[in-house]
Amino acid sequence: MKAGTVSSRTIQLAVGSAIAVLLFAAAFSYRSIAASSESNPWVQHTWEVMDDLRDTTIGMATISSSIRRFVITGEESDLEPYHAARSEVERLTPVLRNATLDNPEQQRRLSILEKLAADRIERAELIIALRRNQGIEAAMKSVREGPTVRVTAEYQAVVLELRNEEERLLTLRNAVAAANVRHTEIILLVGTLLGLFITGAAGWSVYRDNFRRWLAEQALQESERRYRMLVNGVKDYAIVMLGPLGEIRSWNPGAERMSGCRFEEVADQNFSRFFPPEDIASGKPREMLGIAAANGEYEEQGTRLRNDGTRYQVHASYAASRDQAGNLRGFSVISRDLTESSESGAKYRGLMEAAPDAMVVVNQSGEIVLLNVQAEKQFGYRRDELLGQKVTNIIPEGFAERLIADDLRSAEDALAQQIGTGIELNALRKDGSEFPIEIMLSPLQSPEGTLVTAAIRDISVRKAAEKVLAQMEGKYRGLMEAAPDAMVVVNQGGEIVLLNVQAEKQFGYRRDELLGQRVTNIIPQGFAERLVADDLRSAEDALAQEIGTGIELNALRKDGSEFPIEIMLSPLESAEGMLITAAIRDISVRRNAAKVLAQMEGKYRGLLEAAPDAMVVVNQGGEIVLLNFQAEKQFGYRRDELLGQKVTNIIPEGFAERLVADDLRSAEDALAQEIGTGIELTGLRKDGSEFPIELMLSPLESTEGTLITAAIRDIAVRRNAEKHLAQMEGKYRGLLEAAPDAMVVVNQRGEIVLLNLQAEKQFGYRRNELLGQRVTNIIPQGFAERLIADGLRSAEDALAQQIGTGIELSGRRKDRTEFPIELMLSPLGGAEGILVTAAIRDISVRNAAEAHLLHKVEELNRSNEELGQFAYIASHDLQEPLRMVASYTQLLSRRYAGKLDSDADDFIAYAVDGATRMQRLIQDLLAYSRIGTKGKDLLNTSSEDALRHALSNLRGAIEESGALVTHDPLPEVLADEMQLIQLFQNLVGNAIKYQNPGIPKIHVAALNGGKQYRFSVQDNGLGIDPQYFERIFGMFQRLHKREEFAGTGIGLAICKKIVERHGGQISVESQPGVGSTFRFALTGSNRK
Amino acid sequence: MEDDEMPIEVLLVEDSPGDVRLTQEAFRDSGKPVRLHLAADGIEAMAFLRREGIYANAPRPDLILLDLNLPKMDGREVLALIKKDQDLKIIPTIILTTSDDEADVMISYQLQANCYLRKPAHWDAFDSLVRSINAFWLTRAKLPQQMQNV
Repeated sequence: MKAGTVSSRTIQLAVGSAIAVLLFAAAFSYRSIAASSESNPWVQHTWEVMDDLRDTTIGMATISSSIRRFVITGEESDLEPYHAARSEVERLTPVLRNATLDNPEQQRRLSILEKLAADRIERAELIIALRRNQGIEAAMKSVREGPTVRVTAEYQAVVLELRNEEERLLTLRNAVAAANVRHTEIILLVGTLLGLFITGAAGWSVYRDNFRRWLAEQALQESERRYRMLVNGVKDYAIVMLGPLGEIRSWNPGAERMSGCRFEEVADQNFSRFFPPEDIASGKPREMLGIAAANGEYEEQGTRLRNDGTRYQVHASYAASRDQAGNLRGFSVISRDLTESSESGAKYRGLMEAAPDAMVVVNQSGEIVLLNVQAEKQFGYRRDELLGQKVTNIIPEGFAERLIADDLRSAEDALAQQIGTGIELNALRKDGSEFPIEIMLSPLQSPEGTLVTAAIRDISVRKAAEKVLAQMEGKYRGLMEAAPDAMVVVNQGGEIVLLNVQAEKQFGYRRDELLGQRVTNIIPQGFAERLVADDLRSAEDALAQEIGTGIELNALRKDGSEFPIEIMLSPLESAEGMLITAAIRDISVRRNAAKVLAQMEGKYRGLLEAAPDAMVVVNQGGEIVLLNFQAEKQFGYRRDELLGQKVTNIIPEGFAERLVADDLRSAEDALAQEIGTGIELTGLRKDGSEFPIELMLSPLESTEGTLITAAIRDIAVRRNAEKHLAQMEGKYRGLLEAAPDAMVVVNQRGEIVLLNLQAEKQFGYRRNELLGQRVTNIIPQGFAERLIADGLRSAEDALAQQIGTGIELSGRRKDRTEFPIELMLSPLGGAEGILVTAAIRDISVRNAAEAHLLHKVEELNRSNEELGQFAYIASHDLQEPLRMVASYTQLLSRRYAGKLDSDADDFIAYAVDGATRMQRLIQDLLAYSRIGTKGKDLLNTSSEDALRHALSNLRGAIEESGALVTHDPLPEVLADEMQLIQLFQNLVGNAIKYQNPGIPKIHVAALNGGKQYRFSVQDNGLGIDPQYFERIFGMFQRLHKREEFAGTGIGLAICKKIVERHGGQISVESQPGVGSTFRFALTGSNRK
Repeated sequence: MEDDEMPIEVLLVEDSPGDVRLTQEAFRDSGKPVRLHLAADGIEAMAFLRREGIYANAPRPDLILLDLNLPKMDGREVLALIKKDQDLKIIPTIILTTSDDEADVMISYQLQANCYLRKPAHWDAFDSLVRSINAFWLTRAKLPQQMQNV
């Protein structure tokens, strides 16, 4: 109650003070706010003043501007602003006065302002009058000369002062207001905090009180609990809690036992019921309580009654317990049964009760004098059912006989024989069931003589375990015997306690020769030392060090021969202590194998190191167990950096996954899938760079299981080459397809490996009908034979013979038609060896053309020949008769000139003439025809030489006529020399012949026209009428009579034919009476 | 003058009578004692030269004028035969023909004709040619002495 009072008082106090504080704060705030609100009107006021001041300024300005305007315009309407401003200013001035009444300075300033304003207005009026009455000049003059500007400036200055003052005042007032507000704030804040603080403190103290009280309660509860535990735990003592009047509130099991009652039977009853009647009658119990209550505690020794009426002595301690108020709550009574006469008895009893085993104390007569609760439990009896009974009730046989004194020996002797040994017997429960027990005996001296304490242990479990163990031992023995290895079991002393038949065989001993012998007989060194406990370590430790490891030692047969063994140890618990089972394996074979393996490993290592490729051996776990020098180089690691590492460090993907056994397949299967194939993956170097690799895998058996050897080849170069090749292939394909000719690529076996679209077209096949087919399908003969390697020459040689030549063969289309083709071959290096590319051209058209050409040429030749013959015939056979005629008529004329009449002379003359002309005609005709038939090839000819030659032929005519022939330097041309001479001769000859009176002048020139030269033969002769320009080049065309000029008229025809034969054209320009110029072109010599 | 006493035997192998007459006339005008023997074709010519048949008593000519275009045996053949014959080949053989064909000229000289002359178309020229033959072959040139067959 006290605590609660304290708390509530505190709270009251706290609440009261908080309220007080808050009130106080509120009061202050109110005052501050009130104060601050006062200042607001002031602000308002100041602004108004400012506005008014501004308005007056504006007014003054308006006045000035209005006046000025009026001065200029003279319009009355322009004065309106002036009037308005004036009245405004006049209005504002008293207003301002009122507003600043409290400020003398301001008032003074305002007076000045008034004055200035009045002055200004006066002046304004003056100016207005001037303007109205005297005109603009006067007004302007007045304006200019007036003090207007000064006035205005002064005015503005004053206004400014006023404004500043007002502002200052305002600032001041604002500051005051702000200060007020701040005060208010502070007070409010402080007040609130204070209030909160008080509340908090109060609450805190209340809380703390409560907390402490709670803790105290907890402690109390705890101690009560412990106390109860203790109380209950104590069995030897009766601990009873009584109420103030002795009513039994609670007690412990000890009390139960002592009194023989259960708690329910005695609860709330007075404890005096346990007192003897005489004590109850004398009021002793109550008396004792009273003393206890008075003194707080009381001890007494007295008599009590058990439930069964038996009396017993107790020693009791009473303690009064009071509550905090000091009121008597009750008593706690601790009583001790004094029935046991000695301390050791009591102790003993305690121990007995506490013992885990059943304990039975038997006297010399075989009667149970004492037993503990465990015995009750084990045998299913209550204590009182066994006390005083013969022990044979519970242990029918084996116990009592051993112990009873008989004629043969005294009890002590009998006992002495048995003490210490665990005797296995059978026990009998109350319900008649038997169970195996083991008893341990020990003597117990008592006033009644030697008692025997038997500790009885239920060994049914143990028996069962022993049975199982025996079974297991049997099994174990069986296993041991069946084991393929020699098995030897050795005890702590290093003696062989067990061995199997294999051990007999291996060591060559019989079993009984080894049992009990020291193991050093068969394993001289290395075994016994390892296992025996010594000062340094215990047996278990010694053993623990060896368990599981295969230890290689030397063993000794009966015949003295040694052989290498490997032992594997395992411990074996037994009743005799720790035994060691050793499995002994003869490893002589293995040693050899190991040696051989080591050799092979050595060889293998050698191979590994020497391998040109990187080699890496990987175990089932994907770890690198072996690698060679090349691998170090390729991946840029040191060997020790890779050994033991996961292979995924160097081959991130594609290797480990393929090889690790998983649920789907075993390692061997996984491996089998990969053996032999070259797998392309990516390798990762130490520096992080990647490079393409090809793996070839092969399995490797080892003691650690299947290992995988991977040969790793860097195929970066190959990849590049492949890429390059692919590119080239791509290009090549492109070229192939685009080729105008059919292209076919053939391999060493004569099979078509590639072809293009043109080939498809030409042969009439689809591409896939030809690919892989023998080329003889489309080119039956002549191709394959030329190219295939045979015993006589290699493919390269065969090919080399054919390269470059165009071979004419026959191609066969799909429809079996054949057509002539021309092949051009070229070799092509490919991955599959030398291939031959054949460009196939269909030459049927060409052949036909050639044939046609040949035919035509033949015809031409024939016709030429005919013509030649004709010409020959013409020249001969025609000329013969003519010659006769001409000759004889001439002979006649000679012989008979003058001897015949003049008519005859005339007649003869005509005849001769005719004949002569005829001859000439024929000769000219012959000459004309020969230009073509007897024409020679055009060769490099000096046209100058040709001209000279011609002139030389015309020597006679030139001399006779006195003609002057000149020429420019003439070039070398492609010409038939004879014909060129003829040409010049005809042209120059004509020029001389068809002359004007006077000196014939002839000039020959040649103009360079690039490839051709334009020749000209110019004369000053008779000239030609333009209408005949064409005709004169015709055969036998003459423009003059025979009497005037000789000639058959074939000269120019010949010239034309010659020029045309030389690939040119001949033309003439002429002016009758002036002269003519004959032009023709000849190809220049190709010898530059 | 010894030469003048002995007539000059000239064999003219010519098939055209006209040309024969012309030649005769031309030689007559030359003034030299020329005895012109005639053979109309190659067969006759060879017979004459070999003194076969009716020509058994024919004299050996000092000069042969041979036309190329002859019937039966062509002049070229005759020329070849003459020049093959040991006895006959020493006789100067002049081809006298209308052909001015280069081929003919070449063949003639290849067959070892002594000279190739083209028959002119006109009499004057013809006459002049014969005179030239006279002047050169029958006057200036030394001819091998003929052994008369008995």
